[in-house]
Amino acid sequence: MNKPEARPRPVPRPTENTRFFWDAARRGRLALQYDPDVGRYQFWPRAISTATGRRNLEWRETSGRGTVYSYTVTHVPTAGFEDRTPYVVGLIELDEKVRIIGNIVGIAPDEVAIGMRVKVVFETLTDEIDYFAFKPDSG
Amino acid sequence: MAKNFLAAQDVCIVAYGETAIGRRTGKTAYELAAEVAEELFAKTGLKPADIDGVTFTVPLSECANPFWSNYATDYLGIAPRWLQTSDIGGASAIGNVARAAMALQNGLCETTMLIGADAPSSKWSAVYGSYRNEFWEPTGIQGPPGAFGLLMNRYMAQYELDFAGLGALAVAQRNGAVLNENAYERFRKRITVDDYLKSRQVSSPLRLLDSVMFCDGANGLAMMRTERARELGFESRVYPFAYSEITNFAGAEQTPDITETGFSVAGPEALAKAGMTPSDIAMFHPYDDFLIAVMLKLEQIGFCERGRGSQFLRDTDISPTGALPINTGGGQIGCGQPGLAGGGVNLVEAVRQLMGEAGERQVPDPGNALVTGIGVIPYGRSWGTSNALVLVN
Repeated sequence: MNKPEARPRPVPRPTENTRFFWDAARRGRLALQYDPDVGRYQFWPRAISTATGRRNLEWRETSGRGTVYSYTVTHVPTAGFEDRTPYVVGLIELDEKVRIIGNIVGIAPDEVAIGMRVKVVFETLTDEIDYFAFKPDSG
Repeated sequence: MAKNFLAAQDVCIVAYGETAIGRRTGKTAYELAAEVAEELFAKTGLKPADIDGVTFTVPLSECANPFWSNYATDYLGIAPRWLQTSDIGGASAIGNVARAAMALQNGLCETTMLIGADAPSSKWSAVYGSYRNEFWEPTGIQGPPGAFGLLMNRYMAQYELDFAGLGALAVAQRNGAVLNENAYERFRKRITVDDYLKSRQVSSPLRLLDSVMFCDGANGLAMMRTERARELGFESRVYPFAYSEITNFAGAEQTPDITETGFSVAGPEALAKAGMTPSDIAMFHPYDDFLIAVMLKLEQIGFCERGRGSQFLRDTDISPTGALPINTGGGQIGCGQPGLAGGGVNLVEAVRQLMGEAGERQVPDPGNALVTGIGVIPYGRSWGTSNALVLVN
């Protein structure tokens, strides 16, 4: 198979609703929306609580720690991932009881396992955007 | 449970149409819609002026046009009194059967044409909003194969997945494509379970032969009230008999079991409305974007126990003469997926079988069919819309 030509990785364009998330990311913190009415986090960010239908939501910075709920080893890269193939995309269950999709880095793909503990790391994409990923959490 | 608005068999399908499925044909969705419309006009003897109700599925190749259905009916010379485009992805085809039935029953129109036409391998115009730009595309997830890779791997952590069972399904569907002259030409050759097992990993544990491939094509139906079909002399009639649909199953839950899908609701409900159990179903025409989706449906509709889908596929004769024929025409994985017209591939094959016109792959006197649809890949779950339609003749 020919090596695919490198294309630029998509860069998030923050919206009014997600600005806090990306500002926190630049400080190295993973922020989540929290619904104080029902005491629950939600992800991905929305301008409404899916529990109450109200817009009464807060942003909270979190520990960035969680467990691998599932993962897939990607052999056909998407834009910007050509030089990392194969790479791992994980579905992480954060300790705050939400799930988030992100790369699992710092470990060989065949050593990743469902149930393993991970913590957030950030990778600088642009001056504005640090993007989250996860690495093994040794405690 | 909602009442069964289809129980009286007061609306029926009188004709089906389908183009050849091709790859990078260079055709537009309009040209493909015209091909399938011509077939429906020819089969029914109807003319454009006779059609007063139309449904479409949104084409990936034309979705940047906010007036697709206006443009398309204008293109075909139809002046509809009832017009609807559905955007529930691969669930749109059977969803449109239910919606057209309601329009016919309520007198919004008399004669409907249901068309799916798309050419995503020639032109791509989809741009997704919501979470996609910020939380999906930058993660490197390989689109639908990536989402199904996550789903498969989670299933394997909870249950035993025998890949030979998925391989048996891949082989059976490909056998259907070999006998289906509308299937993408390159797919009209047999494969073995070993070919499946050795096909390259795309987003592991998901392999190339677990997946559909985007193609171009169109399909459609003509529907009317049964009373009118009798008056006009349509002898071959297929009746939509029960329908159920759900979108965003467990959607507000933050940590659902992602192996549990909307078919655990829509499947049993459609069967209950029909007064049937899985053992009454003569043939199964499930929407097949990925093999494991078919397997999960078998489990959640109730053809087998949870966690036993791959063993069921391994041990059951699913050929046209078997205990439970599945996607006898090859399905979308066998024939190629004509974009968001894909749901019509499974639907049209079920209608063709019920009209006794499936030739060498004909199921002997089937009597009924269960057809399903799947729409949209959501964030970190299985899929968006699940729907199920029971057809009888």
